[in-house]
Parts: sequence; C-alpha cells; structure tokens
Amino acid sequence: MHGIISAGIIGIGLGAQYALLALGFTLIFGVLGVVNFAHGGFYVLGGYVGYWAVSSAGLPYPVAVLAAVVATAALGYLFELVFVERFVDEQLATMMLTVGLYLVMSTGVLAGFGPEPADFAFPVTGSWHGGGFFIPWANLIVLGVCVLAIAAVYLVLYRTDLGRALRALADDRPVARAQGIRPHLLFPLAFALATGLAGLTGAVVTPILTLSPHVGDSVLATSFMVVILGGLGSVTGSTVAAFVVGLIEAYSDVYLGGSKGALALFLLVLLILIAKPSGLFGREARRA
Amino acid sequence: MTGRRRGRLVGAAEITALLLCVVAFATPWLTHNLFVLSVINQILIATMAAYSVHVMLRMNLLSFAVPAFMAMGGFAGALVAKHGGTNVLLVGGVSFLVPALIALPLGILILRLRGVYFVLVTYIFSEILQLLLFETPHLTGGSNGISGIPAATFLAQSFSSSAAVLQIAAGLALVATVVTAALCQWCEQPFAAIDENETLAASLGLVIWRFKALGFVVAAGLAGLAGLSLVLMLLTAHPSSFSPLSSVNYITYAIVGGRASILGPAVGSALLVFAGNIFSSQGEYSPGFFGVLILLVVFIARGGITGAVHTLWSRRRKQPASLAASTKLQDLA
Amino acid sequence: MNAGIRFCLLATVAAFPFVLDAAPANSGCELKLGMIGPLSGAATSWGVALRSGAEFGAAEVNKTGGLPVGAEKCKVSVVSYDSKYTADGAAAGANYFASQNVKFIIGPVGSPEATGIKPVAQRNGQITFSTAYAKNAIEPQFPLAFHELSGPATWAPPLAKAAKEKFGFQSIVCVAPNDQGGTDIASVDAEAYRAVGIKASEEYYQRGTTNFAPIIQRILNQNPDAVDTASSPPGDAATMAKQLREAGFNGVIGRLGGPGTAEIIRAVGGVEKLGNFYWLEIVSTDDPGVKALWEEYKELMGQPAPDNTLMIPAVASSRLLLKAISKAGTIDDAAKVAEALRSLPVEDKNLGKGEWTGQKIYGINQELSFPVGMGLIINGKTVGVQKIDTVEAR
Repeated sequence: MHGIISAGIIGIGLGAQYALLALGFTLIFGVLGVVNFAHGGFYVLGGYVGYWAVSSAGLPYPVAVLAAVVATAALGYLFELVFVERFVDEQLATMMLTVGLYLVMSTGVLAGFGPEPADFAFPVTGSWHGGGFFIPWANLIVLGVCVLAIAAVYLVLYRTDLGRALRALADDRPVARAQGIRPHLLFPLAFALATGLAGLTGAVVTPILTLSPHVGDSVLATSFMVVILGGLGSVTGSTVAAFVVGLIEAYSDVYLGGSKGALALFLLVLLILIAKPSGLFGREARRA
Repeated sequence: MTGRRRGRLVGAAEITALLLCVVAFATPWLTHNLFVLSVINQILIATMAAYSVHVMLRMNLLSFAVPAFMAMGGFAGALVAKHGGTNVLLVGGVSFLVPALIALPLGILILRLRGVYFVLVTYIFSEILQLLLFETPHLTGGSNGISGIPAATFLAQSFSSSAAVLQIAAGLALVATVVTAALCQWCEQPFAAIDENETLAASLGLVIWRFKALGFVVAAGLAGLAGLSLVLMLLTAHPSSFSPLSSVNYITYAIVGGRASILGPAVGSALLVFAGNIFSSQGEYSPGFFGVLILLVVFIARGGITGAVHTLWSRRRKQPASLAASTKLQDLA
Repeated sequence: MNAGIRFCLLATVAAFPFVLDAAPANSGCELKLGMIGPLSGAATSWGVALRSGAEFGAAEVNKTGGLPVGAEKCKVSVVSYDSKYTADGAAAGANYFASQNVKFIIGPVGSPEATGIKPVAQRNGQITFSTAYAKNAIEPQFPLAFHELSGPATWAPPLAKAAKEKFGFQSIVCVAPNDQGGTDIASVDAEAYRAVGIKASEEYYQRGTTNFAPIIQRILNQNPDAVDTASSPPGDAATMAKQLREAGFNGVIGRLGGPGTAEIIRAVGGVEKLGNFYWLEIVSTDDPGVKALWEEYKELMGQPAPDNTLMIPAVASSRLLLKAISKAGTIDDAAKVAEALRSLPVEDKNLGKGEWTGQKIYGINQELSFPVGMGLIINGKTVGVQKIDTVEAR
C-alpha cells in the first residue's frame, strides 16, 4: 500500500511537470494549428537564460525566471513574425520551419554555453517528510507554478478580449477573420505567450533536473504525446492527459522497470488513441 | 488539386527518378572516390525512406513510422542473410514483405486516425519498436543488434566492396521508384480525393480504407527496403540506426524536396544528405548549418524544391500558376 | 535575404570541388590524423575531448619540426568528422576520410559508432582507436581496430573489489540507459560485483528520461546498500544521485563507467551531502604525470584543455600512433603501422608504463591499458583518486 501511494505521489509530480511543459505546445497548436518542433528549444533556452541571469548577471532566481520568460517570448514573437506568419496556413511548411529553428537554437546554445551540463541549482532544496512519505519542496513549487500558469492561461483565454479573439481564431479562422479579427496581429502574440510559457517551464524545471543543450529532445516528445492524447489544443485535455501520462509512467516504471515501463506507457497511449481516435477530450479533427 | 496532368501513364518526373537510379548504379565506373560512393549510397537509402513518407503524404497522412518499418525490413533481411540465404532477391523480398505484412493489421487499427493523431500514433509505434528490439535479445541481439552479416549475393557474385554495396542500393532504389510510381499512378484519383476531402470522397462511394491500407502497406515495404539497404551498407543491424527521432529526417527530405512529384523525395534527400555530410566535416556547428539550410529552402522554395521549380516553370510558360506548389493541407490539423 | 541565398549557394558550390577532388599529391610530407566522434548532440563533450587530445599529440610533434617518416619530416594536422553518435555517421566519416587519404583515425567514441566503423575502416585500410565500452569494441576479424583505453571488463573487477573493501556493502543496483551505451557497461559492472560476493541487480531506463523519480523508487524498493550509476550520462547520473538523497537513501553511490563527478557533487549539494561515493577515473588523475599534462596542454595550445579526462587517453594513443607511423616508415600502409603499434613498448611520457590487453575479453590484444584511478569520497570527505593497477589485478 505504501509503495502504491509513493508511486502515486511521484506520478502527480511528473504530471505537474508535464502539464507545464505541454501548456505552450497546446496553445500554439490550438490557436495557430502549428506543430512547434522548436518547443524543446524554447524550454532549453529558458533554462539557459535563467542560468545566465543567475550566474553571470547575479540576479536573484525569481527575476531570472522572469528574464527567461521575456527572452523566450520575444524570440517566439520575432520568429512568428518573420518566418511562421507567411506560412501559417501550411502545416508542413511551419513544421519544417520549427525543425530548422530547433537545430539552430540548440547549436547556438551549444556554442554559447558548451556541451557540459550547466551549474544551475534550484534555490530551494530538501524534502517534506511525513507518514513515511516524502515530497521534494522543489516538486511542490513546480506544482504551484503549474497551477498558477494554467490559471493565468485560463484567465487570458476566457476573461480577456485577446483570449476571446484567440479562441475565435482557434475555432474557425475564416469566420473569425470575417468578423474583423486580425490574425497577423494576434498570431505573434499567441506564439510569444506560448514560447514564454516554454521558457518559464525551462527556467523552473531545468534547475531541478538537468540543464544541458540537448535536454529539449525528450521534452518535445513528451509534450507532443500529452497534447495529442489530451485532444487537440484543449488546455483542459492536455492538463488531464499530463497527469494521466505522469501516473502511468510512475506506476509502470516503478513496477515494471525502465524499458518495460516505457513500453507499457506507449502501448497504453496507443490503445487509448485507437479507442478514442481524437484524444481524451478531442473534438473532430480541426480544420486549419 | 494535385495539379499533375492526369491521364499520362509515365511523366517526366518518373522517368527522371528512374534515370537517377541508373546513374547512381553507374557511379562506381565514373569514380573511385569513397566519399562520393558513400554519400550516394546514403542518398539512395534516404530516398527510399522518403518515398515511404511521400506515399503517405499523397493521402494527407504524415507518418513517423518509417524508422519502425525500416527496422523490420533491416532486421528481417539481416536474419535471413545470416541464417537463410544471401541471394539479394530473397533478402530484398523478405525485407519488403515483412514490414508490409505487419502494416496490414496495424493499418486497420490506426488508419482511422487523421492529422496529428496519426502523427502521434506512428511516432509511438516507432518508439515501441525500438523498445521491442531491446527487449528481444535472442531474436534481434537486443541493444547490440546483429553484426557479422554476410554480404549479399546474386548469381554467385558477392557484393562486399563499397562500390558493390552502392549498386545493390541503386538496384533496390530502382525497384522502390517503380513501386512508388506505379502505386501513385494507379491510385492517383483516389489518393487525390482522400487528400482533398476524405469525408466527401467517402460519401461519393469511394471505399477509402482499401486505398489507405494499400498505401500504408506499400509505404511500409518501401521503408523496409531502405532499412535493408542501410543494414547492407553497415554490415550491421543496430537499433541506433532506427531511432524514432530519425523519422524527422526522412519527413524533412520528403517535404523539402516537395510533395507534388515523385522527384521530391529524391531531390530533398540528395540535397540534405549531401549537405549533412559536408557539414559533418565542419565539426560541432553542423546541426546549425543544417537548420539554416532548412529554414532557407522552406522560406524560398514554397512547396518544396520540386514544387517551386514547377511553379517557376508554369509561370515562364505563361500558364496560370499551378496550385501544385502549395503544401496547403486542409485536414492535417 | 538575397545576400544570404547567394552566400549559401556559393558555399555549396565551393564545397563541391573540395569534396569531389581526391586528396592532392603531398608536396612536402603532410600527415593527416582523422578524428571521428560526436561533435553534436548529447555526447558532444566526448568528441571535443578526443579531438583536443589528437590536436595536442600533433602539436607536440610539430613543435619538434615534424614527424620523422623515412627520410622526411612530416607536418601533422588533425581533421575531424561529426559522426553524431550513430553507426552510419561513423561509417560515412571513415569513407570521407578515405577519400581524403586519411588512414589513421582517433575515435570513434560511442558503441554504435564503433559497430558502424569497424567493417568500413577495415575495408578502407584505416586504423581506428575507439573509446567505446561495447563488448565487441574490437574483434579479431578487424585487426586494424584498436581500443584507446581499458574497458569495463578490465577495470570493473579490481574496482568492484576495492569498493567492497572500502565500504563493505552487500548489495548493489547498477542503473544505466537501456541502449548499448548502458547495457554493455552495467551488465559487466554487475558481473564484477557478483564475482566478489555482492548481490547485484541491473536496472535500465529509457534513454532521454529527465525525471528519475520512478526509477529511484523502483531501486529503493529493492532496498540495496549501494547504487552504481554505471555509464549513465553525467546529467542523468547527477539527477539520480540528487533524487536518491532526496528520497532518503543514505547508502553508497558508485559510478563505474562514466565521467561527471563534478556534476554529481554539485547536484547533490556538496561533498558532505553526497556522503559515500566512489567513481572510476579512466586515468589516475592525481598522478603528478597526469596532472602535468593539463599544464603542458595549456602551454602548448595556448588555451586550457577541455574539462574531460577522455582527452588524456586520446593524447596517449595519438603519441603512440605517431611513434608507430614513424617506426613503420609509411604514412599510407595501415597494416604496417598496426604491426609497428603491436611491437612498440607501451610507455607514455605522462601516463607511465602501460600494456596491450584484451586477448581474454575481445580475443585480440589491442586495448591500450594504463593504470586507472578510483576516486573516493568517504563520510563526506574527499579522499582523492587512488591508482588502481588493472594490469596487476588481472
């Protein structure tokens, strides 16, 4: 029983991390219909900006996190404006553009910071212990940031004019355009919001785990899996899916081991998608 | 709206693609430079893998399962060469048929999925296959793979030198080109209908799943040939040759080349594999160069290289610009 | 934009003759050493270390006016190729070098690369010096393939024995990634622990895992006295060590297989918090001779050496290889140079006496072995790196 609860706690920790990871990815997908292969790149960049701000500029950690958000958002804004905007209706082209961007970004980080893992430590260490269980404080903070970020995204999407316009674009682009919503102004903003979230995740999560130029590869795969499993572009869906994936991963890894655990996770996701071809919370395949 | 002129049996693109394979076959007589032979060999392998992507793209499906089918073809071929016989027809046949046969039941399960759901499922399938290789050490050698594969043979001739390995690859690529061209020609109308609007096509009485399954099965077989060719080049079937993320490479080759014609995969593979090899001799900035190249090509050549050339051509001949160049994928999302 | 396109076109066109032309006939004597290894991706630092080692070896010889080969003195240069930690990348690199008439290669680094390069380099008549820990990194049917440093089968037995003597643990879990870079090391480590009477089990995680909490939980469910992170990448090992301590694991942590001690100490929050820790150093880093090498590097190359000990065996093997080329009196005939390599006494300016090993493990005596080191942190205090003579232990 104790083991089952421990694994559950681990799963929730993983879930919070994945939910945060997936948030930006699902936004870009939901609003622009773009599969952002550079998502992991923004995560890594966020980590390195935070690291640079703490270690070279001597800023306190919370300010460094803010700097990471601003820097990644700015880069996302520019990239959308210069590259993605022209091709925003062509999903294959945007995918290739983000693949190219990711390669350039990870090479840039490698050139700037070197291949070794960076010395970027989370300011809070130690764990909460109680009843034979433990939770690292850092995980609780990630959970907190996750809840805040999701709440903020909800507020933006459902309580502001910007959000209403973005949702309209996500629902039906031609109709939204006809109603006077101007995508070429809003898309860069949405892209910036999403890459900023990826940067935030990087700045918060990499000091707890590892920061090196190539940790973005697996981030992309996980985000992708969570977002699609949740159902296209649905924030609720991807959040639920994040915790589903986190819990499955925790239980399968603890009880089956690394390789068999991963195999079990992938098989389960495959089965869920075969049973529900448009994800847990999906509508019919959206039209770009 | 594929923009290709229908009704012609064999177009210029198909003939060019076949000629390229013949030229590749002849390179050992033109040069002994091992690097040239090695790059052309890699291009041939990449082209076969990109054909597999291309076939699926014709039906508006983006498949990340190429490394999985390559692994099946490669490992099946390796096992046959080691324990059955090394005749290239036998080995080649097995490495086409094994992935194709596995693709049939798999396709029935997953071809209902569309857009990014299909992307995810095929990606997960590649991950699963990689793990299955690790978990079946008695059959596939586990994480160490199968080494010491004997060279392929044909009519009592053994193909072990770089030049001979290249010629086998060229032969396989020729077969792959013929198969791809034949399929795309034969199924042109139904593929175009599925691409355009699957629901509408179904409501007009087209038995969609039959064509989708056929495309998927053939795509799997093409990837199997690519996998075999890779295994024959390395004389080793190793799981790291079939990493799930390598699917992004093959997709990139197919899209950068352009999805409008069968030449797309060949052109994309040739440019990017060649560039990748050049960049690799430039040290740690190679992925960056590669990324810049992709950004430039996508930005400049709308619709991929062949698409852009086609558009230019049409414009020059003062015809209305063809829509072939557009990679607009209405339903992928 | 236009300038960018033009530049790109020019670069491509300019690259063509460079590639297609066979190497020009040598005017004066010029010897090119090849370096094949990952220069991009997660294993970049290893490729960079290897390249630096080869460049240092070349610079040393050039300082003396070149390498004497027959009647000539040859200028030595190093060319590198990014093999991306893949089998096909390494095979392509060997062919690229063959077209440039490069016959002597330092590297490759990883197991997939070693697997991919062996048959191709043999076919091309090229000597390779791989660092891979694969169980078949070198094989009798590929007599031109050499191994740059001792592998797990050489160092794991004496280190496992020493670790047992120091810390007295009875059970251990060896944890590593689930591909060849993990399984070929962790399984040998586990075997070595078992041989000295320690209960050892193996755990493999999916390569690319970032959060190890579930794996740690699984390990702790087995209640081991010690955990060996084997050949897990430095970042992974650091995260695991940190999460082990966070979960309240107070046992010994070991690391027989990969570098990354500094990262682990940092991640856990200092030597005191790490408590009991032992690790393999591929050379005995506290030796005065080895320490001197870092200084020599800085002086000769004008910049500090990369912070990666893999540089050191690369220096040793470059030196030995160059000596063999000189002895054989040829810069083209790899088989003759291989013959000279096998017959030369194994002695390095910085590393001291070594020997060719490998007969028992690989069936071929082509592994360049020098004493390794075992680093120790005991009860939160750094003890330093002890020299472990693998030759004697065998």
